Amino acid sequence: MNKKRIISFSLLIITIIAMALLPLVIKKDSSINLAILVLLYMSLASSWNILGGYTGQTNLGHAAFFGIGSLTTRLLWIDGFPFFPSFLAGGFVAVALALLIGIPAFKLRGVYFAIGTLALAQILNITVGNIFPEMSFNPAISDYQIVPRYYLFLVLAILTIGTAYFLVNSKWGLGMMAVREGEDAAESLGISALRHKLLALIVSAFFAGLVGGAFAYYHVSYYLNMPFGPEWTFDPMMMAYIGGTGTIIGPIIGSIFFVGLKQLLVWNVGEYHLIIFGTLFILIVLFLPGGLVELWKKAQTYLRRGPSQKKTTTPQVAKT
Amino acid sequence: MLSIEKIDVYYRELQALWEISLEVNEGEIIALIGPNGAGKTTTLNTISGLLKPAKGEIRFLDKTIGKEPVNKIVELGISQVPESGKIFAGMSVYENLELGAFVPKARKEKKQSLERVYEIFPRLSERQNQQAGTLSGGERQMLAIGRALMSKPSLLMLDEPSFGLAPILVEQMFEMIKKINQQGVTILLVEQNIQAALDLAHRAYLLENGRIVGQGTAKDLISFESVRSSYLG
Amino acid sequence: MLGQILVFGILVGALYGLVALGLSLVFGVTKILNVAHGELVMLGGYASFWAFSLLGLDPYLTIIISFVFLFLIGAFLYRLIFSRTVKLPEETKIKNTLLVAFGLSIILQNLALRFWTADERGITASYLGTAFTVLGIRFPVVRLANLVVAVFFLVALQLFLRKTYTGKAIRATVQNWEAASLMGINIHKVYLISFAIGAALAGVAGTLVAVNYSIQPSMGLTWTLKALIVMVLGGLGSIPGTLVGGLILGVTESTTSYFISSNYREVAGLVLFLLVLIFRPQGLFGVKEG
Repeated sequence: MNKKRIISFSLLIITIIAMALLPLVIKKDSSINLAILVLLYMSLASSWNILGGYTGQTNLGHAAFFGIGSLTTRLLWIDGFPFFPSFLAGGFVAVALALLIGIPAFKLRGVYFAIGTLALAQILNITVGNIFPEMSFNPAISDYQIVPRYYLFLVLAILTIGTAYFLVNSKWGLGMMAVREGEDAAESLGISALRHKLLALIVSAFFAGLVGGAFAYYHVSYYLNMPFGPEWTFDPMMMAYIGGTGTIIGPIIGSIFFVGLKQLLVWNVGEYHLIIFGTLFILIVLFLPGGLVELWKKAQTYLRRGPSQKKTTTPQVAKT
Repeated sequence: MLSIEKIDVYYRELQALWEISLEVNEGEIIALIGPNGAGKTTTLNTISGLLKPAKGEIRFLDKTIGKEPVNKIVELGISQVPESGKIFAGMSVYENLELGAFVPKARKEKKQSLERVYEIFPRLSERQNQQAGTLSGGERQMLAIGRALMSKPSLLMLDEPSFGLAPILVEQMFEMIKKINQQGVTILLVEQNIQAALDLAHRAYLLENGRIVGQGTAKDLISFESVRSSYLG
Repeated sequence: MLGQILVFGILVGALYGLVALGLSLVFGVTKILNVAHGELVMLGGYASFWAFSLLGLDPYLTIIISFVFLFLIGAFLYRLIFSRTVKLPEETKIKNTLLVAFGLSIILQNLALRFWTADERGITASYLGTAFTVLGIRFPVVRLANLVVAVFFLVALQLFLRKTYTGKAIRATVQNWEAASLMGINIHKVYLISFAIGAALAGVAGTLVAVNYSIQPSMGLTWTLKALIVMVLGGLGSIPGTLVGGLILGVTESTTSYFISSNYREVAGLVLFLLVLIFRPQGLFGVKEG
């Protein structure tokens, strides 16, 4: 166990250092943009995963937090406020939104929560689009440097994933997973489902909001309601599922896989990556709910045991 | 007609039946008796196909039916009246009976089957167009049995037909079951009312904790504590 | 003026009711919440559009094509995908079918994008621009047709469920699937047919959408949400309730359009949706569970 820990930890440090040194080695802007995209999705997918994967609450309105964070940051920053406070404000406004909708939203169980959050994100999408119909331009475009943006996304990804890791391995994380497995059972054990769901929501929203702020910093010009679009919920969600919800590394793998696939297919035909991703998503939900992480574990077990090992037949009960 | 050989059945990951074997010959009335939770309903559900045995064989008219889907088994001629009837409350008496004749071979003879059922249960004929949900307990039971008869079964399985009925109705119920048997339908009956069951049936199997612990006529089974106490208590 | 608002709302609401009808049927029978329903509407719209453009058929005749086409697609999708999720226990079933349907919506959306481009399409025919005026209120022909078609299919569905053996089998399955299977009813077939009919109804709604508005690959989400709103308003699994739910949504939208702004039409419906979800999840006609 200890040896494994040391290896994974060293790998982690090496990866972080490598990522940190990346801009010094790679000068091509398009590559750095690609890396930023991966880091952005990593943070979004990981933050979604805290509520969706570990606590089992399918949040179809994650874009609402991403959007409100970016809206806040952009409006403040373009207006002249210094960036960093605007950036933090994005996170906090997202938390405020989470608190506002959290308690009524969690009255809804299961699928109602999902469609409720979906409706909420759409409401914001349309409303923001109505209030701010014009494109937002960054006036300081000549001063634009991509490298600081890269580091912002990198630090944010590390913070998001790191927080997720420590949260999940804490007492709170255990409670969240208990809620996922069965709310009523968890309650009977003295675990307040509402409290854990709210915590997961707040942490999830906070980081989504911060990513939104980074998004506002990164894009030169965009429509202010763009980050509220459903794709900013659905894509990270699919990444988390394909990588493996309920794991830390799942969203990471998922986002790398997603962006990689997108790049690969752009060279041949456009937009195919979503069709393939959607298909993979369905396959995983149906047959491999643990995602690629589960596939990896199964492969490891298979290689270790060898194909000659036969599993004892489990009793079959008809589930009509 | 029906023979079950050493079946093991699991219900929700727990084993419910251990090596159950029983036989039903054509024309007989066989009773499955035993305390609550012994596995009587599970046995019926396995025969009708709602559950599948993990081990062992079920043969009906020389066909192995252990793995067949429910609707196939109904087509072969086994009809189960589930516990508390489970009638379609939102539909009329007539519609319930009509649905009983769903399988193609029964649909052709719907009219005749309906007449037969109304003859055995005249009360149902009176209440043809009434919502099934508004019927009394006894009438519901009759409807459930009538519905099962509509599929023209050769083997009729009844799960606690006397449940929740007043004693007079219980007597009537068993009279009707006898009548149905006399018309040529083989009966497999699950009953908590041991006395009435042993009275009616040609043979019985005693189930306890998922196993068959005894079989035979009332005389053969009187040695068992549970059987004795039901006669005395 | 209020009269006009009401009439517009009702006529549009009839379309909404029809859109939700398929979803309601599927959910009521199979407990599948098909969030790809909007994409099925989209496909129906395209089927009609191509039949109209390439074959020159009268727009309302293309309803037959979209109905049949989507019936087949629905059956196919059920066999291929959803039949695998219905065997799960209730809680996981609902969640997993939601996810699977959502994945399907992404696939369908992007397939449509790939084959038909993002261009908006619409069906316009000469007589469709006309309107009747009664008591000072305008009744556009297109909108009236919505009401006619919606009522037609509502009645047809009710008749199917009440008078045919298959329809009764479906109702029996909803009431008690175990007892239904003991009647010799093949539950999987019941689910398959229900899903296919639900898809077919979505297809018909798609035709109306193509005639009334326009269609494009990304329209799915909007219409799925509308269907969900209507379903929740009308009470889950209640078929007449679905039409009423549609009318309520329609009137809400037209009222908002007039008194606030047409930009907030959708928002009004969504807000109403959230309110009903929170305070009365069984809808206005449904029965509270447990």
